[in-house]
Amino acid sequence: MSESKQRWRIVFARDDDARFLSHLDAIHLWERAFRRGKIPVAMSEGFSPRPRLIFAAPLPLGMLAEHELADVFLAERLTRLDLRERLTDGMPRGYRLIDLRDEWVGGPALATRLVAADYRMTLLGVAADPLEGATRRLMAASSLRREKRREKKVTEYDLRPLLIDMEVRPSDPTAGATDTPETAAAVLWMRLRNSQDLGSGRADEVVAAVADELGMAAIAAPGSGESEGEQVTGPDGSTEPSNERPALEMVRPVRERLWLVDELAP
Amino acid sequence: MITILPADSTSASPDPSGPYYAPSMLSPLALERALSRVRKPGRYAGGEWNSVQKDWASVALKWCFAYPDLYEIGMSNLGLRILYEVINDRSDRLAERCFAPDVDLQAQLRLADLPLWSLETRRALRDFDVLGVSLGYELTYTNLLDMLDLGGVPLLAEERTDADPLVIAGGSSVLNPEPIADSLDAVLLGEGEDAVLEISDALQRMGWHRRLAATGEWLRGVARADALKALARIPGIYVPSLYRPHYGPDGTFARLESLVADAPPQINGRIAADFETNVRGIRQLVPNIAIVFDRAQLEVMRGCTRGCRFCQAGIYYRPLRERAPDVAVAAAQSILKATGYEEIGLTSLSAADYTYVNEVATTIHRLHPQATVSLPSTRVDAFTVDLVDAIVPGGRRGGFTFAPEAGSQRLRDIINKGVSDEEIARCAELAFRRGWSALKLYFMIGLPGETMDDVLAIADICRRILEVGRRYHGGKAQVKVNVSTFVPKVATPFMWSGQDTTAEIEAKVAALRKATHGRGLDLRWSDPRSSILEAALGRGDRRLNAVVRRAWRNGAHFDAWHGHFDYERWRAAFEAEGLDPAWYAQRDIPLDEPLPWDHLSCGVTREFLARDYERALSGKTTADCHWGPCYNCGVPAATGFECQAGEQGPRALLVRPEAGGIEQGGDAEAETETTKVGRWRYVGPPGDPRRHGSVVPSVDGGDAAAGDPSGPEGATTTWPYDLMGTKVQSKSAGLSGLASLVEAAGGESTG
Repeated sequence: MSESKQRWRIVFARDDDARFLSHLDAIHLWERAFRRGKIPVAMSEGFSPRPRLIFAAPLPLGMLAEHELADVFLAERLTRLDLRERLTDGMPRGYRLIDLRDEWVGGPALATRLVAADYRMTLLGVAADPLEGATRRLMAASSLRREKRREKKVTEYDLRPLLIDMEVRPSDPTAGATDTPETAAAVLWMRLRNSQDLGSGRADEVVAAVADELGMAAIAAPGSGESEGEQVTGPDGSTEPSNERPALEMVRPVRERLWLVDELAP
Repeated sequence: MITILPADSTSASPDPSGPYYAPSMLSPLALERALSRVRKPGRYAGGEWNSVQKDWASVALKWCFAYPDLYEIGMSNLGLRILYEVINDRSDRLAERCFAPDVDLQAQLRLADLPLWSLETRRALRDFDVLGVSLGYELTYTNLLDMLDLGGVPLLAEERTDADPLVIAGGSSVLNPEPIADSLDAVLLGEGEDAVLEISDALQRMGWHRRLAATGEWLRGVARADALKALARIPGIYVPSLYRPHYGPDGTFARLESLVADAPPQINGRIAADFETNVRGIRQLVPNIAIVFDRAQLEVMRGCTRGCRFCQAGIYYRPLRERAPDVAVAAAQSILKATGYEEIGLTSLSAADYTYVNEVATTIHRLHPQATVSLPSTRVDAFTVDLVDAIVPGGRRGGFTFAPEAGSQRLRDIINKGVSDEEIARCAELAFRRGWSALKLYFMIGLPGETMDDVLAIADICRRILEVGRRYHGGKAQVKVNVSTFVPKVATPFMWSGQDTTAEIEAKVAALRKATHGRGLDLRWSDPRSSILEAALGRGDRRLNAVVRRAWRNGAHFDAWHGHFDYERWRAAFEAEGLDPAWYAQRDIPLDEPLPWDHLSCGVTREFLARDYERALSGKTTADCHWGPCYNCGVPAATGFECQAGEQGPRALLVRPEAGGIEQGGDAEAETETTKVGRWRYVGPPGDPRRHGSVVPSVDGGDAAAGDPSGPEGATTTWPYDLMGTKVQSKSAGLSGLASLVEAAGGESTG
């Protein structure tokens, strides 16, 4: 509909105030922020034109983020300073602007260049040592069979090739997640592959694999349900695991950063 | 982003003895755990644009608006958006929000022993000084009990102490708050814009807010009982605990006794002082998740004088007031800017009756070509199809909604819905011709004086409309027929009239199902048992408080939602209390019987309502008093407001020029998407300078912005609220986005 004169890559973070939004909600939120800031966003072609705002990867509901990427195409050129001011004016609570990069309008789509993402979360119910052992065993495994559910269809896939790296980190005091100091807690960090062929690795799947390895049951955490927040619940309405295994609870999952193809050494 | 509040020098006696009591907030981990286990956690997370977080230690009086329905409903409520801004504009007070938690979160809260929290600073409801409760619909009473209970507030006002907030209710159901009065500390009758400030001033003067003592404890400057007595002296405030009802030997209500001198025998509703020239609610809350009415709202007119005899809102919001057009346009611009919304609804009980609707809608459209202007809740006649045609994008037209309410002319005269079969058919034809292929029609059954012939007339008129539609759209034409059960509402001429029995309603529905069988007609009807409960609670007395609490303990809540309503719980609760819902709902009340709500008035007198009821029974209509003669409803005397009645309506004066303005083909094919509204020559009502020949700005072929004209049409659950949070009798006014209720339209303009 409108010609794109400029393409800005927005680097942003998401904190607590916006973490319980689904991807779709987030898109609407950003579109309103652009309108409030009177940013001349180019519109897409077609029967129902949409603002040309493209996120590198949907941020799951419940997930915090420190370095997300989105491309916005503008119908008029703006200076970096001008765009920054306008964006900041209308930026919804919970989103923080980190950087703006002027990109070539004709460059490849952002999502096709995404190769990996780093995650970090606090795990409650496990101490660092046993977690360390489990991550080593998982990294040493040649394959990790997991099940993927899409509606009623269940397919098996191998999680291992999507798991690039994983390690246990000292617990994060700034996360403020542990107000129950008696509970064992550890921070798990992981780098997951984002591949055109294999799909993208899911942090909650890795946590579930870790839980299995520890003989524990992963408790559904925000962001681990269906992508639009429709969480699968049991017949009694609970999301608690029904078996007797001890619980491994994931809190404050953070996507630390997204990696594009030329940013990450092979 | 936190809204920066202007420094405010007008604060009433800011208490220099701060800091104020600031109890602890919900821990982030507890919040995360609760929210990670529920559907749509965005409902409970807060952080919306234009939401306001203030530092509790530096703010004296803390309000929380507790809306007893889901976030998606409550956040759509314009009254909430307005009062939220009105309170938060003051630096010495704050307002936060809380909505009824869905059953999954309720289970989590009870499991983890967490209190229901406010969205802004995540504090328990019991920590606030005042809970402002919106009561727009009787079937939300159990949700209110849910919220009080989960929020740590005792259900009974008499059990509350100085540690508990004052629970103050507003909304149109408070015309008879008696069935829930035991849970309310005070009731605000009428419009809240000025009254919430007066209440706040009074409470702060007395010292109801909590100061922090040197010991770290809090203390209030006034005892609860004294605060209530002082509130009772504010006009429009009713404090139920200062009265005691008496009943006669036959169980009917006898009289209400004032227990203290401060309790006035009669309470009249408030009206906002400056509606015409002052728009409150500019920085409207913008939800982070999709809600029912997900758009900015500008109330262009308050009140309605058409006088439909079943309609409570039309009585409650009198006198009729219209926003000056320049005020409305300026406000629309400010609201769009402050919210970033892509759509603005011009709201009122009957938006198409707004004198300047065309002018305002087209001007906004011209100034903001990207924005969609919508007319929800338009109770239309004359030119509305044209108007909606002008502002709804062509191409993907969903449903167009009409509300004839009754099938026969005779019955429409009884309910004072002044529209003929021919007008309905003509209006339908116009809508079909303009590209709508599906029409939705709202009717009520069980209306006073209704016979089976009247019911079957619904099928006749729908078939007639379907025939018209087939001429334009062939087999694609569809007529959706929504039938709800008439509920007698207090403060309407029909309040004395008993509801049909469930068996009668079921027989009528069965007959209608048979008569509307076939392709192209789609009949939907409401659960008559939900209507009997609505009527019983609506016309109830204080004895029903025990029933409501018992039903709630039996598990009743979200009674307005199909998936949750369980009549059996209510039947059992009535039975256990020795009361009969049918006695409350289905009894024809003698006109001279004292009524449990007689002491509450929004200005319209009982005498007027009785006169109009008698006119109804004899089939006499009552004209729209905005243009017709004054029927002496009592509002001017009660409110001091002078109605500006004209001799003829602006709609009669809105004419299209003979040539030049618009090209209208005589046949459907000639109509294109680009044919929008033509040049309206506008001549205002008497006294309006425009009567002397000036011409309003026009719009020609303006590109209507994208937007789904049918609104949240997919939702099959009933959304029984209009935009002021009022339960609307016909379930029509507030439904889907742009779908407009057309009761009649002149077809002459397309000739």
